[in-house]
Amino acid sequence: MPFLPSTRLMLFMLGSIGLITLPHAWHIPPVLFSFFTLLLLWRLLSIWQPRYLPNRFGVFLLMLLGIGLLYSQQHSVFGRDAGTSLFVVALGLKLLEIHGRRDVYVIVYLAFIVAVTQFLYEESILMALYILLVCGVLLATLITQNSHTPQTLAALKTSAAIILQSLPLALVLFVLFPRLEAPHWSWLDDDIHAKSGLSNTLEPGSIAELSLSPELVFRVKFDGELPPPAQRYWRGPIYASTDGVSWRAPPVLGRENNPDQPTFSDPSYAYTLMMEPQKQNWVFALEMPTEFGGGLRRNGLYQLITNKNPGDRAEYQISSSPSYNSGGISKTERKENLQLPGKPSDRVVELVKQLQGKQARPELFIGNLLQHFRQENFHYTLSPEAMPDKPIETFLFERRAGFCGHYATAFVYLLRVAEIPARVVGGYQGGQINEVGGFLEIRQADAHAWAEAWLEGRGWVRFDPTAAIAPERIERGVNVDLQIASGAVNFSPVQLDAKTLSWLQRGRQLWQSVDYNWQRWVINYDTVNQKAFLQSLGIDNFVKLGYWLVISVAGIGGVVAWRLLRPNRRRQDPALRLYRQFCAKFAKAGLSIEIGDGPQTVAERAKKLRPDLAEAIERITALYIRLRYQADSEAGDLQVLKKLVARFRV
Amino acid sequence: MDLALDHLLAAANQVILGKQSQIRLAVCCLLARGHLLIEDIPGVGKTTLSHTLARLFGLEYQRIQFTSDILPADIVGSSVFDAHQQLFSFHPGPIFKQMILADEINRATPKAQSALLEAMEERQVTVEGRTYPLPQPFFVIATQNPAHQIGTFPLPESQVDRFLMRVELGYPSRQAERELLSGQPRHVLIDELPAALLPAQLADLQQAADQVHVSPALLDYLQAILAFSRQSTDFASGLSPRAGLGLLAAAKAWALIDKRKAVLPEDLQAVLPAVAGHRLNVGANDSAAIVAPILKHVPVL
Repeated sequence: MPFLPSTRLMLFMLGSIGLITLPHAWHIPPVLFSFFTLLLLWRLLSIWQPRYLPNRFGVFLLMLLGIGLLYSQQHSVFGRDAGTSLFVVALGLKLLEIHGRRDVYVIVYLAFIVAVTQFLYEESILMALYILLVCGVLLATLITQNSHTPQTLAALKTSAAIILQSLPLALVLFVLFPRLEAPHWSWLDDDIHAKSGLSNTLEPGSIAELSLSPELVFRVKFDGELPPPAQRYWRGPIYASTDGVSWRAPPVLGRENNPDQPTFSDPSYAYTLMMEPQKQNWVFALEMPTEFGGGLRRNGLYQLITNKNPGDRAEYQISSSPSYNSGGISKTERKENLQLPGKPSDRVVELVKQLQGKQARPELFIGNLLQHFRQENFHYTLSPEAMPDKPIETFLFERRAGFCGHYATAFVYLLRVAEIPARVVGGYQGGQINEVGGFLEIRQADAHAWAEAWLEGRGWVRFDPTAAIAPERIERGVNVDLQIASGAVNFSPVQLDAKTLSWLQRGRQLWQSVDYNWQRWVINYDTVNQKAFLQSLGIDNFVKLGYWLVISVAGIGGVVAWRLLRPNRRRQDPALRLYRQFCAKFAKAGLSIEIGDGPQTVAERAKKLRPDLAEAIERITALYIRLRYQADSEAGDLQVLKKLVARFRV
Repeated sequence: MDLALDHLLAAANQVILGKQSQIRLAVCCLLARGHLLIEDIPGVGKTTLSHTLARLFGLEYQRIQFTSDILPADIVGSSVFDAHQQLFSFHPGPIFKQMILADEINRATPKAQSALLEAMEERQVTVEGRTYPLPQPFFVIATQNPAHQIGTFPLPESQVDRFLMRVELGYPSRQAERELLSGQPRHVLIDELPAALLPAQLADLQQAADQVHVSPALLDYLQAILAFSRQSTDFASGLSPRAGLGLLAAAKAWALIDKRKAVLPEDLQAVLPAVAGHRLNVGANDSAAIVAPILKHVPVL
């Protein structure tokens, strides 16, 4: 007999599969996703028009097509993207051949696997909730498949109950079960979806592009006090060599063993820094990092580099001290940081001379230069005009309005002309305090560029020309909401009043705080964190861990089982329990008792099977009927029944 | 009293051969104060069964042959102008009898059908604003041809629901048919039948049926049956509360016929096809098959 799944079951199944695969639309190639969607719609249509279903040969052709598409898009079935695509295509194809219950199970289990693959792409709390919900629908499919009385709402309720019951167990397994970590190399093939951010090259206008992006870069939770806003410089890449327009990072090779290690003086700030997925393996530490945990190293440019996959969120323990002395400078380094893109023009040389470059002490010249920026009608703007040709000179002498990148590059350029080693530092400045979670959020909009000059006896010293022009940028940080709302930049036509804005801000802070804790406690719960946590519980070896696992799983299982079984036991009539024992004894002897059989029916059949026991059967049945159905049962009846059933042997 | 019931059943079995269970169900239906619907093809003894029951219960009875041109007034009666008194006076129709044999009820138009069915439910008749009570007890035994026969107006669900039971007769067995063929004509036998019950005895029996004990365990089973019929996709609509009450009353009467003082699950199971079959699926004929999933899936224990 051909298996015909009910319409309700099919709708349930196709609906949940559609929901499960939906987020993959952003992950797998559009061709493959369209192929899958087509198969799903085909199957959906066939619920009402079964004759449209392809036959065996048709399915075979579709399979070939699927393999072809898969190969053309992925060239492999290994790796995250290719493997996910394989599962999705297989799921779509399997939908077209449902010949029995078995196929429904295969599809549902395959759908569970596809649900799991979502977490290879996204680990946010929203995705976790979404997948949990969709798994509930999928479970309801299984329930519908197996129930006599399929009802949509009842099935959803049951699946919700099952999920709720299994959550404590999942929690215990999550905390206690040894964490498995995928080897690093396995993910490196796949592209990382961090979009914007600082890059290896800097052009004066490039940071301005970031200035409106509210995308989170990292979050910092300080163990003690926060450093004052003016000291919140998060150090990123160094830009030292320039062709006059763009600035590049110097080669880092050979700098690892800088003979002059920086020396630090108090105070130092200890903090936990959580990086969002990035393209580069840079970690933006507060200047200047003194101590840092495993997985990090400080290169010769005092930038922290992680050896973890930058595409994953990661948490680092770092200490920084704002007062430091980097010591001496090597010949190569000096040469590198005095490099100029050709001979400076006359008016540049004139300007440097005017500001007492080369003649006075470097500190004096720098002071004069900053004074020049302050006094000579320079402006700070978020939307500077493009200066494609000779940007530094155009900025210095004509436009006089720019973003931090313009100031930093012009500053460094002039210092180099004055033969002071200088370089541009990229990174982030400031950050917004999340009042709910008590941590600092640093967004792309906080991207900043400042300068560093090497001074005799002091080492590399930070100078921020932007602070000279727009001190409020440094003191208060960038407020993206305000910038958008004030209309300084035409970004969104919606006019937001201050009240709405603060509500939005509070809501966003709350959400960020939830997200931060999710990242910290769930996503970042890796082998190291687990070990530390378990040790704090006193679990230091696998035997103890095993005991804990068994005890907690058994404990939770016991509680759930007790809750599930208890009401039944309480409701059960003692007479019924005795009668069930009697039935069980007979069932062992080969009497088939259906659930729809009444006591008299059972007795008749039992007597036919064992005429020799007829008397006992009749007595037990009569007593049971009297106890359970009649009004005239006597006090001793239950005891008699108990004795009879106990003595009864088949 | 019990003997009278035994005698009644035995006498009925003498007239209608080989249909013990149907006769028992029909008696059970009357003891439960319900109306009875007998459905089968013409000629298998529907009318004979109803005549026999009427005779044996000792009730004054009237047969109404339903035809396609019968009018409500032909059933309930009408007001006629009395020239002497210069007044309209009501002439009661054939329905004012204790037992009505409504033959081939589905041959009549819905209008005529509903006149009878209203009377069945209300146990009174309203004509031109005046209400006339029907005699006590009041039974309707209706016979109907299967819906697929030509010239029938099938009763809608709402009206079929007013009958406590629907019984199918079916062809007699070979042996029963032989006896029928070789015996006396049935109408002669019926005419000779003495009443097996006095009117007071019938009332007593009905009261005794009411007092049969129903335990909470049995109500659990009954409610499980009702719940199953409402949840299962096998049925378009589940059993109504009225069906539940009917089921319980019929099971009580069945236990009484079995001379028991308490209702057992088996009693419910015995009356379930007749009580629930026509409510769960009006069109189908095989009541036993309709209720089979209920008996199979609802646990008794």
